Amino acid sequence: MSTVAWITARGLFGRRRALLLLPLPLLLVGLATLCRAYDVRPSDWGSPVIVGLGLAVVLPVVSLIVGTGVLGSEIDDGTIVHILTKPLPRRDIILAKLGVAVVVSALTSAVPLFIAGLLAESARTGAALAVAATVGALAYSALFLLLSLLTRRPVLLGLVYILVWEGLLGQFVSGTRVLSIQQYVITLADKISPTGLLESKVSLTVSIVMGAIFVVGCGLASIDRLRSFSMAGETS
Amino acid sequence: MSEASVIHDIGYQRYTGPRLGRGAVFGAMYVHGLRAAFGLGRSAKAKIFPWLVVGIVTLVAVILAAVRSQTGIVPLTYLGFADAMSWLIIFFAAIVAPELVSRDMRAGVLPLYFSRPLRAADYVGAKVAAMVTAIWALLAVPQFIMFLGAAFTTKNGMSDVWDELGDLLPGWGYSLLWALLFTGIGLLIASLTGKRAFAAGGIVAVFLMTTPVVGVLSILPSSDAQQLAGLASPMTLISGVGQWLIPTANSGMNVGNFGPVYAIEAVTLIAACLLLLLARYRRVAAL
Repeated sequence: MSTVAWITARGLFGRRRALLLLPLPLLLVGLATLCRAYDVRPSDWGSPVIVGLGLAVVLPVVSLIVGTGVLGSEIDDGTIVHILTKPLPRRDIILAKLGVAVVVSALTSAVPLFIAGLLAESARTGAALAVAATVGALAYSALFLLLSLLTRRPVLLGLVYILVWEGLLGQFVSGTRVLSIQQYVITLADKISPTGLLESKVSLTVSIVMGAIFVVGCGLASIDRLRSFSMAGETS
Repeated sequence: MSEASVIHDIGYQRYTGPRLGRGAVFGAMYVHGLRAAFGLGRSAKAKIFPWLVVGIVTLVAVILAAVRSQTGIVPLTYLGFADAMSWLIIFFAAIVAPELVSRDMRAGVLPLYFSRPLRAADYVGAKVAAMVTAIWALLAVPQFIMFLGAAFTTKNGMSDVWDELGDLLPGWGYSLLWALLFTGIGLLIASLTGKRAFAAGGIVAVFLMTTPVVGVLSILPSSDAQQLAGLASPMTLISGVGQWLIPTANSGMNVGNFGPVYAIEAVTLIAACLLLLLARYRRVAAL
């Protein structure tokens, strides 16, 4: 299991494309510092930077790239066969891959969010954002890992979820918020450290229960899907 | 070896027909690229995403035309339509650009292409032309539907139709600007990676991460910074150009006296993307 995790981590960071993960967090920290330097009131810049950029873009996009990358790139290459033919329980493979994805995306999104929260209000807000982002990374990674097993175009489908479901519908149709990970993260951060920057729109119970359902459900579905996984050639 | 060795004629023949040159290769790649953009000639799976976007955009246009013909109110102008569809254009660019260039890298066919009488400029030109046409058609066809809706419910006969046409043509030009900029950025990012998934993610990330920058810059305590804020994101950049060229556009952008700056940046950005694309294809790896 640790070997699988090691291979996955090397697959993610062994190439230049790991550098793609850098600009987004740097931009978040940079903008927060810029606003702080110009003495803009946190109530003005907090929402667009922390929610608009941090929770709506950095966290889901980083989780998407990493979450679909851990398993999806091996399926694309066909090297997943080497892991599948080893006498390893499918559960261990999924858990190792999910673990790497969560750790990487949580680190890349929680650290800049902590700094942004620190610059906006206090270390407590920063810590709350970091904890919520970690939980969010767990839920997003589980979802995107499942997507990479269900379809050949996981990134596009994930983008539909982020852009259309959470981005467009989440603003206008209140019912979709119950199934939006972004809203759970906002609620969680707001409840840990109440702040005027975040506006939670679903209740804490809903976000905890639904978040857990997302993680466990997607995890179990991935394990089940990998049990009867059949390699398909390049299609379409 | 009792007999002396002989060379048998097994019927190989030289090709003696006409040889088509660069122009024909360019045309073939353009048509192929345009078909690939919409998934034509591919499996049903490849058609889902492009036609999903086309469907939504057309539906919106039909609804807008219906609202206008029934109530007489104009909910969105031709320029405002392109602005309102910007998220879908990003998504479309993220579908089409990897389809056009990343597949060729992944399949390792670039050395085959360039062993023909085809230059890097032809390859890039055909791909760019195909994608510009695809994105432009994505916007122009719905705009034409809106025009038809307005033209057939006109009250004053031909003069109103001419007025409406005068609104449509700048709208088409504006859509072309959208198509050029999104093609340049999209193809440039997609040409860096052979994996369609990473290319799509990268394109969306670039467009998404620039939007909040505009939001932050526009609240800085300086009116110059606020008026220049739109330069930071491709979407607001084009809105700014449209606002400067057509002051009645009402895109909600306040560009002040910096309209020419927006236009210069848009042109520079498009040119820079195309030049970088050319530089990218000066050498191709044999994989």
